[in-house]
Amino acid sequence: MQAGATAAAASPRLPANTLTVAGALLFIIVAAVFTGSKDFELGAFWLIGVAFGVIVQRSRLCFAGAFRDLIMSGDGRLMRALIIGLAITTVGFGMLMARFVPDPSFNVLPPGAHIQPVGFATVVGGVLFGIGMVLAGGCVSGTLWRMGEGYLNSWVAMAGILFGLWSASKTWDWWYDNDVSKREATWLPTELGLTASIILTLAVLAAAYVAILWWELRTPRLPGPTPKPMPPAFTLRDHLRNSWDTVFGGRGWSYTTGAIALAVLSIVAYNLQSPLGVTGGLALWADNAAKVVDAGGLPLKGADLLAGCSSAAAGAEWLTIRTTTMTGLVMGAFTASVLSGEFKVRFSRNIARYPQLIIGGVAMGYASVLAVGCTIGAFFSSIPSLALAGWLYAIALAAGAFIGVQVIRRLP
Amino acid sequence: MRIDVRGEMCPYPAMKAKEALKKLPAGERLELITDHAPALSTVPWEGAKLGFLSEIAPGGPGEWVITLEKSSAPIDQRQALAAIAARAAELASGEA
Repeated sequence: MQAGATAAAASPRLPANTLTVAGALLFIIVAAVFTGSKDFELGAFWLIGVAFGVIVQRSRLCFAGAFRDLIMSGDGRLMRALIIGLAITTVGFGMLMARFVPDPSFNVLPPGAHIQPVGFATVVGGVLFGIGMVLAGGCVSGTLWRMGEGYLNSWVAMAGILFGLWSASKTWDWWYDNDVSKREATWLPTELGLTASIILTLAVLAAAYVAILWWELRTPRLPGPTPKPMPPAFTLRDHLRNSWDTVFGGRGWSYTTGAIALAVLSIVAYNLQSPLGVTGGLALWADNAAKVVDAGGLPLKGADLLAGCSSAAAGAEWLTIRTTTMTGLVMGAFTASVLSGEFKVRFSRNIARYPQLIIGGVAMGYASVLAVGCTIGAFFSSIPSLALAGWLYAIALAAGAFIGVQVIRRLP
Repeated sequence: MRIDVRGEMCPYPAMKAKEALKKLPAGERLELITDHAPALSTVPWEGAKLGFLSEIAPGGPGEWVITLEKSSAPIDQRQALAAIAARAAELASGEA
């Protein structure tokens, strides 16, 4: 039974089928291996990935939806939540970066921050990624958490993403020689100073928030449904039941709750080593797989100079902070969906959907190499890193999502 | 009318709900069965734009039934508020 939406049936009850038992065992084994690893950060970033998965599964914080719904149905709720998350992350990253680089005018970039080169590749990457995420029904992180929730569609899209990442690494040299190597990774504080950059970023975010609210109010509609209140709690048992229901109940979390939680998580991650990012790990795994047939494309030319979610610094191992993050993300989403009674193996019965998912995945994979990151690494972690590239990428993503929406309206 | 969009991911549940609502005979309700949680937010939004109120009930594990029913309330909240304000002004001037 689905726990939660009717509050009376909210007592936690776990389905004890083979898949969830296998999942629980795998969870314990991976937890033991990663957190027991000699490298503290591998385990820490796995736990961050698990938290990431729980947050996005519970709040359904879909980055693809934030861009798509704004354009397609005038619905800015997701994007406004992301803006709140970006603002919080900006303040947190600002404090960390101030500690790393007390005087930014010396043209030194803060270590770990996601500050990508601002160039043609950023724009092409953003537009291509925007189209891809609309076609595939989710961005890279969205695909990962839906894989954990039991969407076979997302496993298909992931195959496309891995292929896209690999094919980009094979053609990277052209992009590097003609564009990336000639561009500068602009960090706003180098020009403006740290405080002014933070204030400017927050001001632009606030302006975007108001503009989206205005855009939303253009479409007349009925007021939304009011959520059912929690049943009154008298005993300890009642309180515990309500607490469980708040976290794992059928209501889910609000978008804003999810975005705030993700912002805090990204600050914690950056405090440890690096902001949140997922595609770098996937690129590494795609390449490790390709190496089996002697077709590897890593390391990327000049990538050790790129600051962002890249596969570069990683070397050739399977386990890096990026790969444990993404493993944790899938497992966290799986756990949260099982605990909330929402896990279900599901797939589209429309055959035409599958080529669409693969094409969308390939586009996203290819694009996230060009832009050195996805909606997480090159947007949600880049704007708070006070990187100019994050803003350019966001605008390109919106343009790509617009094209994607036009395409999707013409598909069966 | 009842439509089954299980297996479909965003934006398809909301797109199909919109299509169905436009064809829905007057006085009828639309029941949409979905297994995609984000649709619980996007389908009521599309419904609200066409003047439908939504009710969400849990189905099986990871499944929900959204029931959309036409509301008699005006869609344009500003128009509705303006009408109330005009009526209030009328009453006030009548008393004076």
